Amino acid sequence: MAKGVLVDITKCVGCGSCTVACKLWNDMKFSEKEPTMGPEAKLSANNWTVVRFNEVKKENGKVWRFVKTQCLHCQDAACASACFAKALQKTKDGPVIYYPHLCVGCRYCMIACPFNVPKYEWDKTFPLVSKCQMCSTKVAKGEAPACVSVCPAGVFKYGERDEILKEAKATIARDSKYVQEVYGEKQAGGTSWLYISDVPFEQLGFNTKISSVPVSTYSHNFLKYTPVVAVSWGIILTGLYHYTKRRNEISKDSGKNVKL
Amino acid sequence: MENRTAKPKTVSRRGFLKMLGGVSLTGVAASIAGCSQDPAGGKGWLPQQYQVASSWPVQVKGRIPIDPNNPSIVRDDKKCILCGQCIEACERVQTVYGYYETPIKDDITCVNCGQCTLWCPTAAITERDEIDKVVRALEDKNLHVVVQTAPATRVALGEEFGLPPGSIVEGKQVAALKKLGFDAVFDTNFTADLTIMEEGTELVRRVAGDLKGVKPLPQFTSCSPGWVKFCEYFYPDLLEHMSSCKSPQQMLGALVKTYYAKEKGIDPEKIFSVSIMPCTAKKYECNRPEMNDAGKHVGKEKLRDVDVVLTTRELARLIKMKGIDLTKLEDAQYDPLMGESTGAAVIFGATGGVMEAAVRSAYFLITKQNPPEALLNLTPVRGLQGVKEASLEIPGVGQVNVAISHGLSNARKLLDQLREDKKQGKPPRYHFIEFMSCPGGCISGGGQPRTSLPPSDQVRQARLNSIYQIDAKIYKKRLSHENQEVAMLYQKFLEKPNSHLAEELLHTEYVDRSKTLTAKKNG
Amino acid sequence: MTAQGWSFRMTPIRKLLILLAALCLGVVVFRLVTGLGTVTNLNDDWPWGLWIGFDVLTGVALAGGGYFTAIIVHVLHRDKYLPIARAAMLTSLLGYLLVMAGLFLDIGQWFNFWRPFVSWGHTSVLFEVFWCVSCYTTVQVLEFGEIFTERVGKKWHNAFKTAMPFLLIIGIIFPTLHQSSLGGLYLVAVNKLYPLWWSTLIPYFFLISSFFVGPAMICVESTLAGNAYNHKVPVEVLRGLARIGGWFMILYLILKIFDLSNRNVWNLVFAGNLEANLFLLELVLGVIVPILIVFSGMSASRSGLFIYGLLVSGGVILNRMNVVFTGMSGSAGASYFPSIWEWAVSIGLVSIGVLAYCFIVENFRILGHDEHHA
Repeated sequence: MAKGVLVDITKCVGCGSCTVACKLWNDMKFSEKEPTMGPEAKLSANNWTVVRFNEVKKENGKVWRFVKTQCLHCQDAACASACFAKALQKTKDGPVIYYPHLCVGCRYCMIACPFNVPKYEWDKTFPLVSKCQMCSTKVAKGEAPACVSVCPAGVFKYGERDEILKEAKATIARDSKYVQEVYGEKQAGGTSWLYISDVPFEQLGFNTKISSVPVSTYSHNFLKYTPVVAVSWGIILTGLYHYTKRRNEISKDSGKNVKL
Repeated sequence: MENRTAKPKTVSRRGFLKMLGGVSLTGVAASIAGCSQDPAGGKGWLPQQYQVASSWPVQVKGRIPIDPNNPSIVRDDKKCILCGQCIEACERVQTVYGYYETPIKDDITCVNCGQCTLWCPTAAITERDEIDKVVRALEDKNLHVVVQTAPATRVALGEEFGLPPGSIVEGKQVAALKKLGFDAVFDTNFTADLTIMEEGTELVRRVAGDLKGVKPLPQFTSCSPGWVKFCEYFYPDLLEHMSSCKSPQQMLGALVKTYYAKEKGIDPEKIFSVSIMPCTAKKYECNRPEMNDAGKHVGKEKLRDVDVVLTTRELARLIKMKGIDLTKLEDAQYDPLMGESTGAAVIFGATGGVMEAAVRSAYFLITKQNPPEALLNLTPVRGLQGVKEASLEIPGVGQVNVAISHGLSNARKLLDQLREDKKQGKPPRYHFIEFMSCPGGCISGGGQPRTSLPPSDQVRQARLNSIYQIDAKIYKKRLSHENQEVAMLYQKFLEKPNSHLAEELLHTEYVDRSKTLTAKKNG
Repeated sequence: MTAQGWSFRMTPIRKLLILLAALCLGVVVFRLVTGLGTVTNLNDDWPWGLWIGFDVLTGVALAGGGYFTAIIVHVLHRDKYLPIARAAMLTSLLGYLLVMAGLFLDIGQWFNFWRPFVSWGHTSVLFEVFWCVSCYTTVQVLEFGEIFTERVGKKWHNAFKTAMPFLLIIGIIFPTLHQSSLGGLYLVAVNKLYPLWWSTLIPYFFLISSFFVGPAMICVESTLAGNAYNHKVPVEVLRGLARIGGWFMILYLILKIFDLSNRNVWNLVFAGNLEANLFLLELVLGVIVPILIVFSGMSASRSGLFIYGLLVSGGVILNRMNVVFTGMSGSAGASYFPSIWEWAVSIGLVSIGVLAYCFIVENFRILGHDEHHA
């Protein structure tokens, strides 16, 4: 059913093929100001995926680790739940996709995303939100996302999320060099993209403080009372309106009576 | 590609407003009419091989990693089409990519050979362009700008100007450099001859057993910086075999700021030393921290022996930039002091050439007699076969076995064999092995003019033929020890081969780089 | 009141306001033509800035006086507060219109603003905000129809008068929902908003504070309008309203204390960092001090009530700013300070509001209206 991608950070050699594939397939421009690779690499409206270079201390020296970053395609996507026009939708294949024609441009998805993935085309007259689509059209055809299909180093495993997760757990259990955690298994309720690493995730720029509760839970727990509140508040107000009006009339009448 | 390259455009104000109006209207119209209800993305293309179901393997894919700070090569992501050809060159031809384990450490393994720049169909991977530095130096009135040209550039530069592969443009190249404003034009051939003297002497000492325990046989050549780095990465246990001689480029660099400066009375700090090389690894080599022996000698450690290396391609661009038509130039001569060369030097540009040149002079060094005619045309060491070997009889020494490899995948064969032999305690099969990083040797180095893709043996052979033609027919001398300027250098400055000063300026040491990667176990 | 010409007095201050409004309109046109990047300092780390923080979140809260008055005067029929009713509801209407304007400018695909009416993202808190604010603004326009038709289109006046009770009740339900859901917007910022402000109770804090800021704004507004138009609302009326607000502030304070204890974040309150200090400032000056004022003799004077109003309004403004900026800055990678153009628009919109208020007050029966219509 839902596809997933496992990223084995230990295998990445930092060639950046994935970043190029993304640009090619999605017809997006490179910008000198927004590098797709290196220590300064950051997601942007033009960069749906980047490979960030991290220099980390390990054992008795420093090592380089390259972290491919893109939308994680949450199983219960905060952005999709936050979009008030359904411009962002979670598909059953796994990708969380964006329909530009539905977007109002409120940027609430950017507030909602715990991973700060959605970006905005600030320099355009009619800016749109911009983020990785996990090559939804390719995935629908049974192809792997562009970035996944071009990797020469065997960093990715693409398949059913459940199976991929099992494989990830087996890999880290088999080899003690790995941190004994699959990033994305639980974060924000679980993500389609999963990571395993031999360096603690927080040293690689991952937000490790994200709870396992899907962000949408909080909104849902609030919104579910809306109909009840609206109706009962309406009834109360109507009741009060008539009660106090009547009371005032009676008191006016009685006041008159006294005067008379 | 065009649509992915942002073109700078000048827009008039009226045009700008029109455009804005147009854009707004289209935006509004498109949105209201609901022109496209597709999800975002997926409007581009990918090479065909990637558009298959995820369960099928993809034959040629991805690209090699390149450190953004790589001194030799750079890649323009805009032009990369993920065709996978760089991996073909790096992994299959040079056996670098894919020959180390992941996770990597703190280095992106690269021997700087630049073969990928020849294979890349869109020229996304190119040499690191340093033309600007040279132009600036040439414009600086305070600098004395010296240039040297490698043996192999003279048989390839012409291709950039429409001449057939292998055209010999030695004199025109010198003329062009003089026209560009270089104050002195020297020939790396000169230090190739010098290398033979130094390396030959070292070889004779190894053969004689003078260096027993420290420098065993076989001796490896050390003039290909890509090869040297390869050995440092993957075979550091065999570095004791590596000749301690610097490459001819670095020898000339060290001499320019000492010998030449002294002879001409020029402040070494005012000398800017450029070299024109068929090689991208030379850019890396001149930046190796230890390559400042001239500076150390004169007490200015910051001085580099060679300041900038331009590839043949960069030189061609520089010449074109200045509007000079190479083909129309009158031949000119290299400047004296370090301009003389022999046929033994020019064949450094061909695979097997260093070996052949060394054999000629080793024969002389051992027997005090010039070699017989057969040794002047040592055909077994010539040609494009990956591993070549030959066996010669030298009076007084007996059988001397030599081997040659070019292309690093071929080097592995000899190196693995040697490793195995040493493990089993067998005596060395060879006395001397020549290793060249690039297939064909320097004539098809990573900095040479691009040819058909992938680089063809036809072009390589044409260039090789010209090299041997220069050796046999054009130059007057064919033996390094007959180079008079080399003799004068020893007389005036270095005393004798492997002298103390020669060791200081012309020899070097190597670094064990095995800690920066986890080499894959062979087999 | 019949058949006289439209009047609008010109004063130097009004000329300045007109200038600011004109500047604002200029920037608005420029923004609509060039997009958000050139005009604002917003960026990927700060998707929401001054326009959302001040114009929308704060604007809606400060316009809370409308539904506060509607409840007190029209539902609970506290007739003694009738003198301020029309003014408060007018302020609210203008406030909401400006909020709509601010929102319209802030959304990138402004021509697509109607989309959520047909493409229902009902899982979004913003969806509730969008519907409620749109509907409430419409309702307020209709409510104003009753005043408008006193002078223009008089034949419709009775129809509006009849519809008023219905309009008023919906006009309370909607703001109740969206005042709370404006706070609810930040429920999704669970990993981003500083824990002093993020709470599952944030919708209720927004709701209660929007309710008690109503009387505070009325105190400020009637003092200013009273001076300008020589129309003094009796101190007792204002004080009574302020006290109602005061009770809600006590409720707010208790809920805050409960929330901080419940989430065990008292240590953050006294951490001494920027967040902690601004949080304390908002709570002490914006809630605790005003409570002391309103339940003491100080609230017997106009100046006391004016200060009360300023503190409470300032506190609510600070609270909204803290949520949008202070609380979010820790998790944002880059910094943000509104550009001069963002200020120009925000200030310009307020100027337009003030000018519209003056015009309407001078041409319709707003201030002098104290007869009960229903």
